[in-house]
Parts: sequence; structure tokens; C-alpha cells
Amino acid sequence: MFRASLAFTTLLFCATSLAHAVELLPADQPVESVIDHYVDDLIQQNDVQPTGQLDANILIRRLTLDLAGRIPTTAELHAYLAADPAIRRVELVDRLLSSPDFFDHHRNELQLLLEYPDRRNDNDFRKYLLWATEQNRPWDEMFRDMLAGDESDEYQKAALQFVKHRARNLDDLTNDTAILFFGVNVSCAKCHDHPLVEDWKQDHYFGMQSFFSRTFLTKKQDLGEKFYGEVKFTTTGGVEKQAKFMFLNGAVVEDTTPELTDESRKKYDELVKKLQQDDKVEVSYPEFRPRQRLVETASHKDNDEFLAKNIVNRIWHRLMGRGIVDPPDQLHSENSPSHPELLDWLARDTVEHGYDLKRLIRGIVLSTSYSRSSEWDSAAEPPSAHYFAVAIPRPLSPRQYAMSLLVATRNPPHWEQWLTRSAEDWKKERTGLENGANGWANQFEIPGANFQVAVDEALFFSNNDRIDNDLLRDSGDRLVGHIKELKDPSAAINAAFEAVNSRQPTKDEQAAMLDYLETRKENEPAALKQVVWALLTSPELRFNY
Amino acid sequence: MAKPGSIFCGSSDHGLSRRGFLGAAGAATAGTFAADMTRLDGLKNPLLAGEVKRQQKSVILLWLAGGASQFETWDPKPGRPTGGPYAKIKTNATDVHISELLPKMAQRMNHTAIIRSLNTKIGDHGGGASLMETGRVSDPGLVYPDIGAIAARELGRADSQVPDYVSMYTSTEGRRKGTSGFLGARYAPMFLSDKQIPDNMRRLEAISNDDHKDRAALRDLLSRRFTQSRFSEKVNSHTTAYSRVHGLMSSEKLFDIEQEPESVRAKYGPRQFAQQCLIARRLVEAGTPFVKVARAWWDSHGQNFETHRELCADLDHAMATLLDDLEGRGLLENTLVVTLGEFGRTPGINASLGRDHFANAWSCSLSGCGVRGGSVYGKTDPDGHKVADGEVGAAEVFATILEALGIDHEKEYMIGSRPVPLADFGAKPIKEVLV
Repeated sequence: MFRASLAFTTLLFCATSLAHAVELLPADQPVESVIDHYVDDLIQQNDVQPTGQLDANILIRRLTLDLAGRIPTTAELHAYLAADPAIRRVELVDRLLSSPDFFDHHRNELQLLLEYPDRRNDNDFRKYLLWATEQNRPWDEMFRDMLAGDESDEYQKAALQFVKHRARNLDDLTNDTAILFFGVNVSCAKCHDHPLVEDWKQDHYFGMQSFFSRTFLTKKQDLGEKFYGEVKFTTTGGVEKQAKFMFLNGAVVEDTTPELTDESRKKYDELVKKLQQDDKVEVSYPEFRPRQRLVETASHKDNDEFLAKNIVNRIWHRLMGRGIVDPPDQLHSENSPSHPELLDWLARDTVEHGYDLKRLIRGIVLSTSYSRSSEWDSAAEPPSAHYFAVAIPRPLSPRQYAMSLLVATRNPPHWEQWLTRSAEDWKKERTGLENGANGWANQFEIPGANFQVAVDEALFFSNNDRIDNDLLRDSGDRLVGHIKELKDPSAAINAAFEAVNSRQPTKDEQAAMLDYLETRKENEPAALKQVVWALLTSPELRFNY
Repeated sequence: MAKPGSIFCGSSDHGLSRRGFLGAAGAATAGTFAADMTRLDGLKNPLLAGEVKRQQKSVILLWLAGGASQFETWDPKPGRPTGGPYAKIKTNATDVHISELLPKMAQRMNHTAIIRSLNTKIGDHGGGASLMETGRVSDPGLVYPDIGAIAARELGRADSQVPDYVSMYTSTEGRRKGTSGFLGARYAPMFLSDKQIPDNMRRLEAISNDDHKDRAALRDLLSRRFTQSRFSEKVNSHTTAYSRVHGLMSSEKLFDIEQEPESVRAKYGPRQFAQQCLIARRLVEAGTPFVKVARAWWDSHGQNFETHRELCADLDHAMATLLDDLEGRGLLENTLVVTLGEFGRTPGINASLGRDHFANAWSCSLSGCGVRGGSVYGKTDPDGHKVADGEVGAAEVFATILEALGIDHEKEYMIGSRPVPLADFGAKPIKEVLV
């Protein structure tokens, strides 16, 4: 039935197609080795010098930030450094991927990606995303939940917030869906065929839009769909056209709505009006439901390239600091991927493994491409970022930063108990951290393409009393309280560096800090506060590097 | 007008004294630009040394939130069915009449140009505000910077010791913070809503001045080690943000009007809007390129005439005092003062003696820098229902503001592969109101 209603038009659409002349690596190879194969290949072909692998202490920091959304505790750091180097990385990754830390963090990241910035604390949507990440719900099913979920299901209803928050703004609904699920920004094509990209015509923009044009919000705040309705647009040549239900690759869904008499149109119009005005009326749906058809079409194996490549590219971008297609909303023929075969292979792998995002994430973070150093010491210009030859420092998300501040400023012995206590207990502790982060996270910018640290943030750290009264408190439950009791200034400095930056100070750093403490001998606890302040506000904590 | 690129809008009399206020930092302007690491990727026209010349210019935007009536301000129609009860008065510019509610401004129209032919079409507060702030219809694929962020970007200095975009919006009605959009947080406004002085500008008493400075030095040491081997604009923005802290803290006094002589404060008077205009003048004098002062709430669906009698008196006094003060200090030729809101108000007077939202034929004003004082552009029909001549939209206003400041309105930012001109595609500045 569904397949029968699909018709395919042939459009100029080539570069993003899976059909490459080059044979892809076999499907049964481990994800991480495929990544390294393709990344190293490009590096070697272009005679690029990559940086070396990270030291173990910075590797656990990077992995913990990426999989748990926070820096490692000193207890985790010590345990990792003491573990068997041959297996500790895989063990850490597998432990974190099945921990509440990952569920929370992956949820937070998906929410940042998918939600309007001012809705980023929407509890329903957060609840849905947590539920989905806890059971590693396949991405194609999440896509369906969010765009065309079932209102009678508690979680799918919450997932529909994606549409509901945008239901009053058809352009947002069209664009955000195209950008976030398909990696395609067609907004230029609203007013004219895209000037630079052959792929995008007004037909595509309005084609996408027609899948949403019948969507409306009922008085009860459920999603309804109208029984008929067409999208019309005027071309730049002044011709009025009726949009087809057309997906981005030109696949067209036939509208199977029967021809309606004026009378039945009137009846349907009244029903819709009632639903919009009266919360007692139960919503009823038409036979032909465009949003469902969009979901079916976009995840159908003939058309799933956008859905698959976009999520692969988004996750890659999150973990590597840049997309294989970059920027990630420009997945089209004029913007070639840096590693086309790798993108194809990962997209194929993701589809074949049921859109298992955990598998994808695990593969990326186990690759040696992921664990390169971000330090470029040579006098030569660093290689272009698209080689992934030098790790790209990534600003922490507001929650990552907030959570890391909280972890860093607890007294380090506090964390030792969690190495042996139950997972249940840790879940409670983790939830506490997550809640504690709420009050801090809104101080920080959300990382985006043009991210800059705001001067407001620097002023906040410099002069706000919450920093002094909370993070830098010298009570026993805080880092400052702990190092104050160590008596020996060198030991205090070392402990502070380890707690905040997961490393020991260099000789120069140690000397500078000691010099400073020397000048403040009369009030060393106050001076230690300032040492910790300098660590908390250094870029080293602010970035995943 | 002065050619784009001239230093002081055709007059150089007080440019130097402003630089003096900034001390060594001001004198080092050209050098610090070279170290501007916050540049957008792919900016089409990288900052050139010549562009330093624009830096002494500033904008003060008087935002008439809620939408002021053109009939009761810049485009009176006394005696017409739509005209309302107020008369028009002569001004000190030939053949230019404005509402009698602005008597002080009438004596200063030699500095001011009026544009009477705005047709901006969008008649809801959010949409209208967004349109007039960014000069274009919002586009879901991209968050555009507003005029303040663009001015901060184009006129400010990367390492500025003073805030380069300050936005004051005290009232809660229609409050909008403004946005730097794709230009990034570096150009976001310093936003003042409930206080006259920004948050976190003052050192806590619990921390001694020495400790405050010493810990910043320790931070810099850690930061240098980290940044020297990492080539990232994002990382550099962290350094930039912290390097501005002490400068900004010392600019706290700019927000303190007690620093002004009693004689100056007396001229501005006790009302908040005027006092905020005084703060704006202090900021501009110190080198802040963009200050927005919002005055709410002009949304007179009921009792339009009472509302405007009160608000126009406030506007008239504050704006006239501001222009006098700027002129007296030689700053007016470098400072563009704009009145703008989300839209105007209907010709029709409703049953509550109100005027409703109206975006099809309304007015705004430009004064000072680059402006042909005493000029009027465009006109509406006799009852103010339609634009009769010289129809322009938000994009043209935007292009005109940029042109007045010597900024190329066709300059493009590259966002990914997408060129975004400062003023919307195809917009032309209104040359008739420019020098």
C-alpha cells in the first residue's frame, strides 16, 4: 500500500548518493578500524602530519566528558591509571555507555540538538529523551516518535513536543525537520531555487512543507491533521504551483485523499474549528496523514540516506568537533564530505544495525582518530581541520561545564566511595549532580557554529558571589576545604590540579603558584581559593581538548 | 555626507578627546585590531587597517517600544478625520512641521531627518520588533544579528575596554534583550533590565583588589600554556572574554550618573528614560559603539492621546537634552541618534480613543552623524492611510543607518556557503536624508 503510493521522479542528485565507484570496506569490520582506515588514508595521501595519541589521563578526561557529560573524578582517574593499559579504554567505554551518566548526557546532547533554545528544559521532552536513551531506542524509531508518535502512548506523546512546539510556525517545522533530521537547510529555497545548490528547488522546500501544512494543535494541545489542504507557491517566474508531497530526493507521495465535495469540506472545516476551540472534542484523524507518510518515506530503504547520514554526521560532529559534512546542515552535492566513503560506510552500518547510536558512538570513541592530541607544537601551520589529524578543542555544553565545575570542586575523597557502591546509589548521586547543574548551566552559551565565550561568563566568574560562596567554599565538603587541610602547599597545588584538570602541574605552574602562596602566607586558605579559581577559569576546564 | 572611511563623519574636532579618555588602549587601536582573533570564519572582507577609521562612530537607538503613533510625533495630520486633537508646529527646519507634543525637538530639527514613508507590513509586536531590529524578515534557518550587534562588530574593537553593545530595557512590557545571532556571543548586548548598573561589574568585598588581580594573572599563566599550542578561535574567545574583565569593571562608573556634574544631571532631570539617555551619552563618549534605550509602552489601543501626551513629553525632553549634550561635546557629528519602534499606529481612532498597530505608513527619525538635518523623506496620503511617496521598508532603514555610519551595507558575512549582506539583499540607503 505504502510502496504503491510512492512515485519517483528523477532529479539531478548525485554527490550524496550511496552509489560510489569505490568499493566500501567490508561490513563486518569493527567500526573503529574502518574509521581509522579512512581517516589515516586521507592523511597519508596528503602527506599530513597528525598529532600523537593522548596521554591516558587526558584520554579518560575526553572520554568521560563525551560519554558521561562531566570530567572524571579523581577516584576514576586513579583507578584508570592503575588499570591494565591493554584493556582499560574498552572497559571504560563499555562501563560508561551502560551507566546513568551516559543516559543523562546523551539525552542532554540530543535535547540541545533538537529543541528550541528557550525550551531546553521542557520536562516532557526531557523525560521522553531519557526513556529513549535508557533503552537505546533506535534512531529511526525516535524519529517516528518525534514526528508522528502516538498520542495515546505516554512517551511518544512527550516526544511529539518536537512538533507541538513548532506547530504554530510552519516554516520552523519545515526547516527544523529538514535541518535536524536530514542535514539539509532548504530555507533559501523558500523564495527561489537555491542559488548555489543544484539539488534544492522551491519544489523541495514546499514539498517538505506540505507534509506539515495540515498539522494543527487542538485546544487539548494534541496534534491534529486536517482532512485536506494544499500548499501553493509562486515561482520566481511568477507561476503559481501546487506543491507535491515531495521528499528531498524527489520521492513523491501521492495524496490518496478522495475528491471532496464542497459540503464535506465544510464539514471537515467545522470539525477542525471545533477541535481548535473545544477541549472536550476527541481528535479524529484522516485516512491520509502526511506526517506519517513523511516518516515512512524518509526511513524507507530507498530514501533513508538523509536520515542515516545526518545522524552519523551529527554524532561525528559532536565527538570530533566537526562534521564529515561540515557544516552539518549542508548535506548536498555542492558541499562534499571530507571522507565520503567513511560517511557511506558508517551510514550503511548504522542502518544495518538498526540505527543503534550506541554502537556508532562506541566505534568513534574507540578509534585512534578520536584520541589524537589537540596540541600542535610544530612551527609549521597546523593541517586543515577536515583531516582530523589534530584534535579540535570543543567548548563544553552548559551542562557539561556546570557538572564539571561541581565534580571538580567537591572534596576529592568524596568520590572514592563510588568505585565500590551500587549502581543504584550512583544513579541517585548522578541525578543530584544533574539537578545541581541546572542552576549553573544557564550562565553559559550553548556551543554553536560561531561559539564564543561571552564576556558575561568571565564577569560572572570574576565577581559573582555564588562562585565564592559555593564553588570556592572552604568547608570540608569542598576542594578548597580539602586542600587547606593538606598543610603542604605543594601537595595542595597538586591536588587542586588533579581535581580540576586531571593532571599534575608543570614545574613552571607549580613554581608560579608557590610564589603566589608565598606572598599570601598570612592567609593561606584565602590564597588557595584563588589558586582553585584560576584553575576553574582556565580554558583547560572550559574545553574538551 | 562624509565619504565612507572618513574618520569623524566630516568633523574631527572632538575625536581626539575621546581617544584620550581611553588612554593607551585607544592609541593602540590599530595594533589591537591585528590581534582580533574573534573574526568570523570566512568573512568576505577581512578587517583592513583602513576600517579602523570608522571606529569613533556610535549609535544611540531610542526604541519606542509598543509602537509610537506617527500622527502624534513625526507626521501630524491636524484637521483630518484621522488627525486626533493635537496641532502641528513649525520647526527650525524650513517647511518641516511635527506634532505639538514635541516642542523641544521642533527647535532641534536642524539635526534631524524624518522618514515618513515606512511600509513594513508586519503588525504584531514580536514580528515587527524582530523585523526592525534586524532589518529583515526572520528566517528559521539562521539567527540574524540585530543592528546593535552589527554596529558592535563593525565599529567596536575586539579588545574593547568598554562594553560595545549596551541595551537598556526597564519595562517588562515587550521586553527584548536583542541578539547577536550568528555573530556570536562576543557581540551580545550587555543587558540592563532591573538595574542601572550591570551585574557582576563590581569586585566582591570578600576579595581584596590584590587577590583579584593576582588570581587573574595566575589564570593567564595557565591559559597561555594551554592556548599557545592550540589554534582555535573558540579557545581564543575565552582569552578575549577574560582579558576584557578588568577594563569593563573600570567602566562601571560609566553607568553611574552621579559622576556627572549637578548641572548636567539637572538638564536631563529625574525621569528614568532621560537618565538612561545620559548613561548612553557617557558610554558613547567613552567609545561604546551602540547603546539602545527602550522606552515603553506606546501600545495605545486605548487612550492614545493621553498616552502620547505623557510619553511624547518624556521623549521630547530626553531626546532634545541628549542632542544638545552631544552637540555641546562635539559628539553629535559622530553619534547617530535614531527613534524607531516595531511599527506605527492606525489612522483610525477606535472606540476606546486608541490607535491600533499599523505598519503600512509610519515614521522614524535619524539625527546627528551623517544625517542631513532638517530633511524629510517620503510622505503619506492626506489621512495617513497609505504611503503616497517614497515607500521604504526595514531594509532601507537598515541600509541608511549603516551608510550614515560609513559602513558598507552590501558587505557580506559568509555563513557556511551562504552570503548574508549586512542590509538585506537589494536594499538601498535613503540618500536624501544623508549628508
